[in-house]
Amino acid sequence: MRRFQRFLKFPSTFLAPAILVLASIVLFPTIYLLYLSLRHWVITRPNQYFSGFANYRLVLSSGSFWDSAFTTLVFLGSTVLATLVLGTALAVALNRSFPGRGVVRALVVLPLLIPPIVAGFTWRFLLNREIGMLGSWMLPAIGLDASMLANPDLAMVSIVIADVWSRTSFMFLILIAALQGVPGSLYEAARIDGASTWQEFLFITLPLLVPAMLVGVIFRAIEAVNTFDLIYVMTQGGPGTATQTLSIYGWRTAFTSFDIGRGAAIAVVMVVFAIFATTLLSRRVLR
Amino acid sequence: MRKTWLRPGTWLLTGFIGVYMVFVVVPLLWLALGAFKTRFESLRSPPTLLFTPTFEAFQKVFAGGFGSVFGNSVTIALANVALSLLLGIPAAYALSRMRGPARKNFAFWVLSIRLAPAFGLVIPLYAFMRTVGLLDTIGAVIIAHLTINLPLAIWLMMSYFDDLPTDIEEAAIIDGASRFGVLRWVVLPISGPMLIAVSMLVFVFSWNEFLFAFILTSSDAQTVPALIAGLAGTMNFDWPLMSALSVSALVPAFVVVLLAQRHITEGLTAGAIK
Repeated sequence: MRRFQRFLKFPSTFLAPAILVLASIVLFPTIYLLYLSLRHWVITRPNQYFSGFANYRLVLSSGSFWDSAFTTLVFLGSTVLATLVLGTALAVALNRSFPGRGVVRALVVLPLLIPPIVAGFTWRFLLNREIGMLGSWMLPAIGLDASMLANPDLAMVSIVIADVWSRTSFMFLILIAALQGVPGSLYEAARIDGASTWQEFLFITLPLLVPAMLVGVIFRAIEAVNTFDLIYVMTQGGPGTATQTLSIYGWRTAFTSFDIGRGAAIAVVMVVFAIFATTLLSRRVLR
Repeated sequence: MRKTWLRPGTWLLTGFIGVYMVFVVVPLLWLALGAFKTRFESLRSPPTLLFTPTFEAFQKVFAGGFGSVFGNSVTIALANVALSLLLGIPAAYALSRMRGPARKNFAFWVLSIRLAPAFGLVIPLYAFMRTVGLLDTIGAVIIAHLTINLPLAIWLMMSYFDDLPTDIEEAAIIDGASRFGVLRWVVLPISGPMLIAVSMLVFVFSWNEFLFAFILTSSDAQTVPALIAGLAGTMNFDWPLMSALSVSALVPAFVVVLLAQRHITEGLTAGAIK
């Protein structure tokens, strides 16, 4: 037992550097963020002072904040649902062995490693009405002559499609990991009983996937709230404010209107949402 | 019993994979195609699929003063790899061999950082870097990226060390080896592939990251994604140039998929699996 205890003892030099660094680059900025959110500070103006909860009052009483929150919710709902459905289908489809599975799997994972800026630019290029393959050629050919990114409704659709292209693999990876834990004997038994592929999916696969799906949905929901690059490069929140989610709204407030205090208050609201979702998640993942 | 390939479900799933592959690959082909067009060719409407390819756009990328931007991206990513390993390896090893609540709390902390809105970090970091005069420096971006990469690296290495058997380590300790000696001579020699996978992930995350780089830099320390987004915000569009830049920005992603696709799954989904 003493031997074991000695084994467990660690010189603090192992942990101290990492903890010091993490504390100064994560913990300190978080506290600083709270501090900033209580101050009036517009970069372009000379004076800054403590303003209590004024920033929060301004943010929570402004129509654009709630509009952005609603836009975020629309984006979140669409992209989470679409990646869930596609990710499930992919996981089921690729959980069998067939020739070329390695290549297919690599191609499915690839978009996840591509910079979202490039993914967004690529879709903007594809959808461009004058010169894009989809926008100027294929969509008109099927009678959909529309400038996707200039139309308020279709701009959101375009962003969701690009986001699905970029992020479905994440859902896929979570779900296929869960599928690989399902014992094959369950399927053998079902097959002997004459179950169809559809019945196998509905009564064996789906129920066993639900916990992993929940984890994936929460992760993707947080990701959707945080999405910035893809939207920025495709529409910058436009046309008008049609695709202005909370992160775009916060960026505009803090870095184009230079109102750091109000931007910080928006960020705090987003952090609170993330904490809520993470707590929900930790009950499932960490136990 | 029927053969699997005779089932209608099998055909449906195979068809689905085919359609999805088209969905994934066609945009990338379109981007690659765009990079080999001349500017005049790129503005043709409807677009042409057959044209004489030129390297004009790539020449502009590498001769047009963008070299320093790629240099910044590489420097920032490599510095993140080095710092994540240097600070992360001992911490991950200690956490893995420790028992008790510290470990569990740390795991929760790492997960929270991964899920925290980057927007919540970028405002205080910007305000701080502005105050100390570090805006538009490589150092500022390195620090900002470390907020994501260091917790990720620690998490991944910790779960790898968890799976190693500890008897040899115990024996080495009894024979009088120091903790550091055990880590250096017993643990690290069998961790090579894992360290490479973690390095690759850290490199790619740093290389791909946009928000921090975009807010914290303006010209001197600009990274590749910030450059592409900057050009996309201008009125005078040079589609081939932007496509060529984008294609160049894809290199790390392709390298990782080709070399280490199977080893990075855990990294891409850190916190969501297990």
